[in-house]
Amino acid sequence: MKKIVIHPATRLEGHAKITILLNDEGNVDDVKFQQLDLRGFEKFCIGKPVEELPRIVTSICGVCPWSHHLASAKANDAVFGVQIPPAAKKLRELCNSIAYCEEHILHFYFLAGADFVMGPDADPSVRNVIGIAGKVPDIAKKVVRSRWLGAEMLEIVSGKAIHPVTAVPGGFSKPLTEKERDTALPLAEEVLEFAKFSIDFAKNSIFPNYLDAVKSLGVIKTGFLGTVTEDGTLDLYDGKLRMMDAEGKYEDFKCEDYTDYIGEHIEPWTYMKFPYMKKVGKLSMDLDNPVGVYRTNTLARLNVCDKIRTPLAQKELTEFREKFGRPVQLTLLYHWARLIELLYNAEYAVQLLKDPAITSKDIRIPVKPRAARGIGIVEAPRGTLIHDYETDAQGLVTNVNIIVGTTHNNAPINMSVKRAAIDLIKDGKYDQGMINKIEMCYRAYDPCLSCATHNLDGRLAVKIDIVDNKGELLDTLKNF
Amino acid sequence: MDTIPSYCNCKILILGCGNILFGDDGFGPYVAEELQKNYNLPENVDVINAGSSVRNILFDIALSEKKPDKIIIVDAVDAAKTPGEIFELPIDEIPENKIDDFSMHQIPTSNLLKELKELCKVDIIIIACQVESVLEEVTDSISKKITDAIPEVCKRIKEIIKNG
Repeated sequence: MKKIVIHPATRLEGHAKITILLNDEGNVDDVKFQQLDLRGFEKFCIGKPVEELPRIVTSICGVCPWSHHLASAKANDAVFGVQIPPAAKKLRELCNSIAYCEEHILHFYFLAGADFVMGPDADPSVRNVIGIAGKVPDIAKKVVRSRWLGAEMLEIVSGKAIHPVTAVPGGFSKPLTEKERDTALPLAEEVLEFAKFSIDFAKNSIFPNYLDAVKSLGVIKTGFLGTVTEDGTLDLYDGKLRMMDAEGKYEDFKCEDYTDYIGEHIEPWTYMKFPYMKKVGKLSMDLDNPVGVYRTNTLARLNVCDKIRTPLAQKELTEFREKFGRPVQLTLLYHWARLIELLYNAEYAVQLLKDPAITSKDIRIPVKPRAARGIGIVEAPRGTLIHDYETDAQGLVTNVNIIVGTTHNNAPINMSVKRAAIDLIKDGKYDQGMINKIEMCYRAYDPCLSCATHNLDGRLAVKIDIVDNKGELLDTLKNF
Repeated sequence: MDTIPSYCNCKILILGCGNILFGDDGFGPYVAEELQKNYNLPENVDVINAGSSVRNILFDIALSEKKPDKIIIVDAVDAAKTPGEIFELPIDEIPENKIDDFSMHQIPTSNLLKELKELCKVDIIIIACQVESVLEEVTDSISKKITDAIPEVCKRIKEIIKNG
């Protein structure tokens, strides 16, 4: 069969591109999915002072700027060879937890909103945000208020809500005064109440209704990657990485050694890279016999951790494991895991604010440029985020490698999309509705297109090319 | 302390949208910064450099009881016009998108804007600037034709504010 070379779309046009190759009988032979990467970012950073990066990288993603900001700050700390003061770490963690709360509240109520209020089979035209607000106005009010409290807290702690700037090489640029802490604490406690409400509400009114419905969509069996502390506790800011296979066996490694455990597989038809479990030796996206594939994101983090440091979230984890076991493969359960993570972050924010050490003025140590390599890893909402920098003796960047959360899911996304395509296209027959189902598989991962596809429209544009066994383009379906 | 976001509590909200890492796409944020730094705007007008976070803001507005009367979106687009040309993009001309799933990375911004306009009677104005080049790679340099357009857009926005 002819090999198809796909030229990625230009940035402003940006869309995900899926090529479906049919065999002689008109059935799916192969599926190639690709999305745009942040091409040229490395080149853009080269020659810049490395301490500029924590500020620059916040533009990579408008949904999780804090994750990039903190990963970059950590990479800076490593490049400069410093351990930041304990209070600085607490402040960074506090900002991380608050940002997570905002994001998870938004994500859950937005994503699950249409399903639980309207039902997964409701006509797309009635599934709009205003409609949801109309049906459950009290919850809508709480969602807006909780997110606003999060933004207020971030302003108090870090001075800016939308474009983070306060994490710097060597620590944090602004201490938290006692007065500020006293203002922020009741806000955090209110967000915690809403987090508690959210998981109770979901367990009673939402999950029972649609647990059955989504069991079969694009389900695959994979390993998982997440971050834990030395004793296996879930941690979103720091720790060691844990790579777990589909059966639950795992190996831990330090973040500096990530290239020994995470390989990047290249395919000739795309600029995208496919991370895989390097120790396994290879990557195979074969649906019946996947090799080396792993996932990240909320469910992965919950699978790999042994426990959670805050009591309410730990209780939820115990219940979750009693119900579903460990590790859990069902993609749907990402939502449940997200709420447990929300609860953890809300509890942890309160815990940190109550810690007397958080108002310490010792929050930053000086740094000196040197030729070095430094790696900073955090758990972004969508998965393990890796910033890997190299500098020259003047502290100017000579090399940058960034693996964003979604990139880890490139292989599983390909597999899910392929599984859906095989079911939907038979004997050369398919219909326009197919594009919906394929999009759903892709969206289940909530992939981050890193704003490479930003356009006013902002939607996920998907183009599907259907190609016969001679490589001739049969049809193109697109939603833009 | 306010109990609702400032961007829900104003009469007119101006959102500069775009990514400064992608050259001309940074137009919206640069306009927002220009307005914030060099223009005296009335108390009931809020300007936000939304960057790539516009959906978060629109979502909050959609759910909030209190909403602005008018939202002005400033963004760079490629509509095959003359680079640097300023034009209004009627929201009705952006095609309706079906929404099977919701995601903060993927929700059609235009859908949110249409909902706000049709269901909540918020006046939506989109001021667009034609980009010079469609980029393949990250860059923070913006075309001169685009920078030259910033004052004109600010002037246009002042007029809109003046006319209520």
